[in-house]
Amino acid sequence: MSAASAASTAAEIVGGIALAPLLPGLVQHWKARLQGRRGPTPLQPYRELRRLWGKSMVDPDGAGPVYRLVPPIVAAALVGGVLVVPVAETAPNLGLGHDALVLLGVLALARFALAAGSWDVSNGFALMGVSRDLMLSVFVEATFVLSLADASLIAGTTDLRGVVAGTAGIDSWGGPALALGAIAFAFVAIAETGRQPVDNPDTHLELTMIHEGPLLEYAGRDLAYLQWAAAARHWLVLVLLAQVFLPHPHSVWLQLAVLPVALVALCAALAIVETLLAKMRVLLVPRLVVVGMAAALLGIAAWLAGAA
Amino acid sequence: MTGALLVAGLGAIALGGALGVWRRAFSAGLHVQAAGAAAVAVAGFWALGSQSVIGDAFASSFGPRFGVDGLSGLFLGVLGLIAAPALVFSARYLRPSASGRAVGALTAVFVLALALVLCARDPLMFLAGWETMTLVPAVVILVSRGADRRARQTVFNYLAVTHLGGAGTWVAILLLAHADAIGGQTTIASGSGLQTAIALSALVGMGTKAGVMPLHVWLPRAHPSAPAPVSALMSGVMIKVALYGLVRVLLEWDGVLPVWFGVLVLGAGALSAVGGVVYALFEHDLKRLLAFHSIENIGIIVLGIGASLVLRARGADAWAAFALAAALLHTVNHAVFKSLLFLGAGVFERAVGSLEIDRLGGLLRRMPWSGGAFLVGAMAIAGLPPLNGFASEWLTLQALLHVSQYGEVGDGVAGAVALAALAATAALALFCFVKVVGLVLLGPPRTPAVAAAEEPPFPLRGALVFLALVCVTLGLAPGILFGALVGLAPSSTAAATRLGLHVPGTGSLPTVGIALVLVGGALALALLRGGRRAATAPTWACGQLVEPALRWTSAGFTKSLRLALEVVLRPQREISSRTEAGVLQEVAYSGHVPHLIDERVYEPVERAAFRAARHARRLQTGDVGTYVAYLIGLVIVLLAAVRLGMIG
Repeated sequence: MSAASAASTAAEIVGGIALAPLLPGLVQHWKARLQGRRGPTPLQPYRELRRLWGKSMVDPDGAGPVYRLVPPIVAAALVGGVLVVPVAETAPNLGLGHDALVLLGVLALARFALAAGSWDVSNGFALMGVSRDLMLSVFVEATFVLSLADASLIAGTTDLRGVVAGTAGIDSWGGPALALGAIAFAFVAIAETGRQPVDNPDTHLELTMIHEGPLLEYAGRDLAYLQWAAAARHWLVLVLLAQVFLPHPHSVWLQLAVLPVALVALCAALAIVETLLAKMRVLLVPRLVVVGMAAALLGIAAWLAGAA
Repeated sequence: MTGALLVAGLGAIALGGALGVWRRAFSAGLHVQAAGAAAVAVAGFWALGSQSVIGDAFASSFGPRFGVDGLSGLFLGVLGLIAAPALVFSARYLRPSASGRAVGALTAVFVLALALVLCARDPLMFLAGWETMTLVPAVVILVSRGADRRARQTVFNYLAVTHLGGAGTWVAILLLAHADAIGGQTTIASGSGLQTAIALSALVGMGTKAGVMPLHVWLPRAHPSAPAPVSALMSGVMIKVALYGLVRVLLEWDGVLPVWFGVLVLGAGALSAVGGVVYALFEHDLKRLLAFHSIENIGIIVLGIGASLVLRARGADAWAAFALAAALLHTVNHAVFKSLLFLGAGVFERAVGSLEIDRLGGLLRRMPWSGGAFLVGAMAIAGLPPLNGFASEWLTLQALLHVSQYGEVGDGVAGAVALAALAATAALALFCFVKVVGLVLLGPPRTPAVAAAEEPPFPLRGALVFLALVCVTLGLAPGILFGALVGLAPSSTAAATRLGLHVPGTGSLPTVGIALVLVGGALALALLRGGRRAATAPTWACGQLVEPALRWTSAGFTKSLRLALEVVLRPQREISSRTEAGVLQEVAYSGHVPHLIDERVYEPVERAAFRAARHARRLQTGDVGTYVAYLIGLVIVLLAAVRLGMIG
């Protein structure tokens, strides 16, 4: 294993598991500043996790083994996702490969597990949130696949290491294909991280929750796992956005150096978007996501016309 | 050796069917049939693995010829793999009454007819098996339902639609036999009118039999009406045998089809996949829901076949082989988990008495083995790693991506649209099966009958658990089938056999690694969580007591999707309320999602057909003199035609 490969493995594992909570922390910190408040420090999610780790869990009436198994399954699925998304193009195979389509599968497993947990407990608000989340996921998954397909066609492979290598430098930015894919993936990023205008992550009103709904019945270490999983989703989509859909250098060391800067810039962008835009009516969100789908299809058509 | 095993297996099935007619030997007869089916499965997979041709080769002449090659072997293997547990299941599920014994014997005839289609090597035997395969389930439905009015309407609809559409099968096979192209002796010219006619009639005929939209109307009526093991065979095997015919005609006998036809097949597949699952989401009866999911999965298989056609037309033979392998792998996987789900539905119906999903609940606690197996089947059909549905969906997504890679602008964009459709289908299937699992297996029991449900006897449970284990095995090691499947395409290179799915030039699917990380990670995190210090608390409902009236139903859970897709679905609802002296007493709500293809296409056609039949009935006066006059008129017309030289 070369030095570059070891460095990128370390960055992938340490970053994905330990540094993931920093990303939503940064977004919350800047959002507060933009709203004129002092707000929490970027390290607040770590304090939350530590507090939750020390508290006891809950057994709602009628909950069974499915309810208890859901947080480890969701966290394991997101750990799988963190291992699939490479940091820089020389990450070694950590058992799951690096295929882009595997990422969809593990995210689907996490969604299924959360929904099954809500049904087991029969919490009405959780089920409402799950119903809306699954409805949005129909459109978001199609856009996710199309934007990744756009990048894979440009790079010639679906292996994410090859995609990072194939979209590096300025050559891929000659035509509109990758830019259109970036627009599509931006919509996916907002939807997957549950940020406004799709969903409000700060809401305390159960009737307005989409991603927060299923988390209502969990407490203690269970909730710590689920909050870490939400932070890991931030890591996955923002790393993909930075490494594939933004201009990035060819050399591995430069990629590793540019990545933290790109992540911080993307967190700032998310904070600005959340402050400027209000939450959309949930039934109108599919129209927004379909705009992303159309952008990705145009990108693929542009690549085909350019390559043909 | 393989041939002898196959003949022995088929003979045992025939013997078992005959034995089952006597009341004393009913159970023994079904077990003999199951043993025969197992032998057929072993012979079929052996033939697939060895890729050798046993018996006669294909011929366009009409003498009876039988043989087995790799593709037939795969489908025979699937037939035996599904029939064996279904027959063990029926030994305890069916009662040895007159109708039960008739169903047992008819199941043997059904399995033999399916084997006849797969082993037929000449057009006559193929069509004979095809027709028998269509007719036997109709008889089973009539016998098991006691020929009541509902069953008669279902059977009429089933036979009418499959025969009208199925005429396409006859046209395609007979045109191929006339051109001497069965078995590939003569290659049909690419782009010729004959090739297009054969391809279109095969797509219509075999697509009707498989349940491709918009020719699917019979499937949601016929599949739920049959007893559970026969439904499993219909959904698991019969519609796949229809696709076997489609693969033979389109990919082996009809030459290299043009790109536009492949795009048409992709369109039909995408429509079936998305339409099937969207309508499944709004069904309340578990078996009808599963029947619509069969349409969806047939759509996914047809997407793989369409991708293979487009890639072959563009000259990318390696990827055409991988696309066909994706379609065939999904055929095997769907057969396994769909029959698991249908048999599970049979178990629930036997235990509770009704399959209305809003009236079940909590069955995982009451029936851990059956419920657990049903959960595995639901997770497999939703396409979750590390089970088998994810592996074949992954491979189909890769194949569609490569359609865009190797194509021009038109078919490249078509491939991208199909890719989006498949991703949306996967998300919709997950939505639907989360709802099914939640309403059927989880939560509190909703009626006293459900609260008193008991675990079924061992043979029923055993069949379910066996099929669930096959799902897990195929999910962990799809590579054992993949190598043989790639070799089945007309022009392909052999691939090395590995456990996961590895295709050259793109990302791979290391299934064992994924399973280890997911399962091992979940266990490790559960242990890390430590001993469970937990306080009991009521479920949060804003401080209210959780009453049965607050529980979610299927219609409520899918409402967000119904409203989001309102323009396409046009749901209808009716709310009426009764007030007395200004105080609301009662609210009645009814809503339903109409099936647009049924209402806009089939019902007008049905009404027109009946009107035409009423007019034609006027020709039958019942008077002998009129009929003699018709005959004399016909003779005069024929004589005139001969005199003018039109005949003879």
